[in-house]
Amino acid sequence: MNDGKKILLLSGVAAILVFSSCSTSYENGFNGNGSSGDPEAASRTGPLPDTSFTEGDASIQSAVNFDHELDSYQPEKNHYNFYFTYKIVHPWWDAVALGMEEAQRQYLDKGITVTYEYVAPESASAEDQKKKLHMAEQKGYDVIGVDVADEEVISPILDEMVDSGVKVMTFSSSDAAEGCKRLAYVGNTHNYRDGADLTQALCEKLGYKGKVAILVGSKGAPCHEDRAKGAEDTITQYKDMKIVAKEYDMDSVEMAYDLTLKILKECPDLDGIVCCNMSNPVGAARAITEMESDAVIVGMDHDEEALHYLDEGVIYCLGVQDCYSIGFDTIQTAVKIADGNKAGELFPEKTDEITTIIYQKDAALILELLYGEI
Amino acid sequence: MIYKKITNKTFVMTAVMGSLLIMAMLAVNTLKFSKQTATATEGAVSAVSSFYLEAMADRRAKTVTNLISNSFDQMEKAVVFIADENIDSQEELRDEIGKVKDLLGIERFALVDEDNVVYTQYTTYTGGSRHPFLAQEQLNDRIISTVSLYGSSKQLCLAMPTPDLVIMGKRFKACFVQFDINYLVNLLAFDDQGRTYFALYSKNGGNLSGTELGSVISHHNLFDVLKGIVPQDEWKSNYDNFANEKEGSLSFTCGDANETLSYVPIRGTGWEMAVLIRESVIHEQIRDISETNLKNSRNLIIFTLVSAALLAVVLLIQFAALSRAKLEAEKEASNNFRNMANTDSMTGVRNKHAYSESEAAINIQIHSGELQKLAVIVCDVNGLKHVNDTKGHVAGDQLIKDACSLICEQFIHGAVFRIGGDEFVVILQGKGYDKMQDVIDDTNRIIEANIEKDEVVVSIGYSVLGPEDRNLRDVFERADQMMYERKKELKAMGAVTRHS
Repeated sequence: MNDGKKILLLSGVAAILVFSSCSTSYENGFNGNGSSGDPEAASRTGPLPDTSFTEGDASIQSAVNFDHELDSYQPEKNHYNFYFTYKIVHPWWDAVALGMEEAQRQYLDKGITVTYEYVAPESASAEDQKKKLHMAEQKGYDVIGVDVADEEVISPILDEMVDSGVKVMTFSSSDAAEGCKRLAYVGNTHNYRDGADLTQALCEKLGYKGKVAILVGSKGAPCHEDRAKGAEDTITQYKDMKIVAKEYDMDSVEMAYDLTLKILKECPDLDGIVCCNMSNPVGAARAITEMESDAVIVGMDHDEEALHYLDEGVIYCLGVQDCYSIGFDTIQTAVKIADGNKAGELFPEKTDEITTIIYQKDAALILELLYGEI
Repeated sequence: MIYKKITNKTFVMTAVMGSLLIMAMLAVNTLKFSKQTATATEGAVSAVSSFYLEAMADRRAKTVTNLISNSFDQMEKAVVFIADENIDSQEELRDEIGKVKDLLGIERFALVDEDNVVYTQYTTYTGGSRHPFLAQEQLNDRIISTVSLYGSSKQLCLAMPTPDLVIMGKRFKACFVQFDINYLVNLLAFDDQGRTYFALYSKNGGNLSGTELGSVISHHNLFDVLKGIVPQDEWKSNYDNFANEKEGSLSFTCGDANETLSYVPIRGTGWEMAVLIRESVIHEQIRDISETNLKNSRNLIIFTLVSAALLAVVLLIQFAALSRAKLEAEKEASNNFRNMANTDSMTGVRNKHAYSESEAAINIQIHSGELQKLAVIVCDVNGLKHVNDTKGHVAGDQLIKDACSLICEQFIHGAVFRIGGDEFVVILQGKGYDKMQDVIDDTNRIIEANIEKDEVVVSIGYSVLGPEDRNLRDVFERADQMMYERKKELKAMGAVTRHS
């Protein structure tokens, strides 16, 4: 091979080597090889904020249980039709409805259709409830459920219905009177204790002395009355404490606000207010804030505005009921009742749902849990 | 004009210097261009990132807007469908709602009567407190609202009035659908290869989608986080944008993170779609790409330069070889011409011209005293004329060739010249000179034998260079004289002569 050909051959080999190194470099760069090609890795230069709950928050997290599954009971039918009526159109019962809808959804996944009516008047009315119950009685629902507006008025009606073969249960905030023939109750069985616990916290905060007002809620509503009773009984234990007012706001924020203003005018040195339902803590807090009063408020439930007041320290503590579980368990129990089951092994006569008292330090967590706010 | 003679060396130097100069210029320009490109790229990052993010945010926002628009269309159709049906009971209404959902692919669809009772496929409930849009006595227009449900679920509620809808003798005032934000988040989770973060925000900066907007903002309220990071006026400006459903963007630095955020409103919802990317990611990406491209460009240029250099070397070598070959060819041609000029065409031995050149060269050597041993053999072909006359010129030519062959075969170490038609001269030096006598005697014997055989007869005379000789001619004269004497001898032996 002459010199010219050798040189040509060497040139070709050199060209191939250089060109192949160019191609390799190009591919590596284009595919973003290396850590700089991974933007997620590049962006995570440090640990992400820890948003998980601590162990101490576990009890707060369990205040409302959103994680429900139907139990192993096998319903006998493919379709159930229920009627539920409750005290008043109010967000508290909207929360119960969400639990009901979850149970309904899970039954639907199993091929069982659960339909129901879930109705209430604009303002609490035992008479309205009576009418609704009589109307429902005629329509052949599998189960009729009622959140008793007035145990004295409604309990006898429930007895009549049961005697005529209608399957009746009570649910959510108020049970019927003791001895009523209703088939089961799902809801808060410890309203008196809730009122007592809240008031005890208030008394402790006030150093067991001072003037306290009570906002009850709806007249005759068992849950409200029971809480108020618990509050009264607690306060009377302390000689240096006095109940200066006890008012019925009929589960209205506006009325609670007006009543609180009135109480503050009459008693400017008011030390505390016990609020026995979901609406009146909000009304009371608005009035306290407006009047720049130092009165300590304790109340019930999970109103979003009330939780903000709790977060700000205007409200001292709130008793949060597990509405979601109430709704879920109500439907589950109704199905069993509809199948002709009685309270016993499959379900208790009273399904007790929990109340958790929360304080300022818990407010943010509950707001996130219930309303997704951070 | 002065011409400078171009030599090979000049050519090579020019080629080498020229190539080096070109390579140097190319290398310098490449480096300069690389730096310019890098600077320009860095400068383009901000514009690119903002544009990119804006486009991404806009794309996502349009997805939600399209969903809303399509949903309202579906609801219109649903209402028309239901209105055409003859519904007498709640069960029938539920059935029709179920059909409508299946037919139009609507997940949740509900009707609301004038008493704010809500009818869905499976439930009838009092909705006044549950659905804020029902707070209005009358619905006159479509409503898009965000609903926070107990349990931290946020939903998009789309409601529209149904003023002419009457079912079971009841007037129905509205219908609505609700989408869980998680459903929307799934719709919006385009495959951006994890390079950007997105989140849906309410007007006050609250995170609706629950998605993480980068590690700094994360799930927190946007403006709570930004308060300590961006200047107050910039914070206020963006806060106002959110409140007024405007689009915008901002960049901020937190620690070593330089992040860019772009947001666009989702019309009608009060939401803002925000997309975020770390500028360093774009920087790194573009830097990687730029560096890779620059590296590739450098490699390509090096390859080109190396190839060009190798090619130049090859060409130079080839050119040199070509030049040499041409030179050789010219030399050969020159020799050929010279040979042609010095060769006797008939016999192939050297001709008189060559003898003259040789004589001149020998004379120089004689004059300089270099030459000691030299002999001149003069050979004359007998009977050429006779043959030409009797047998023709062809035979005569053949006779000459035969004589030449004989002379060349015998005086193998000598230089043979044909100086005339029938006359040859042989110059002997070296080995030829040493064996001269034997060769002459042998040649004479052959010639004498040829007389009998009637073959070629050549009269040979010879002389050697003596001290008195001043040139070759002197030696030649003596050899020529001897040749004549020999011719007479051969004639006496019976050889044919010109006069025979």
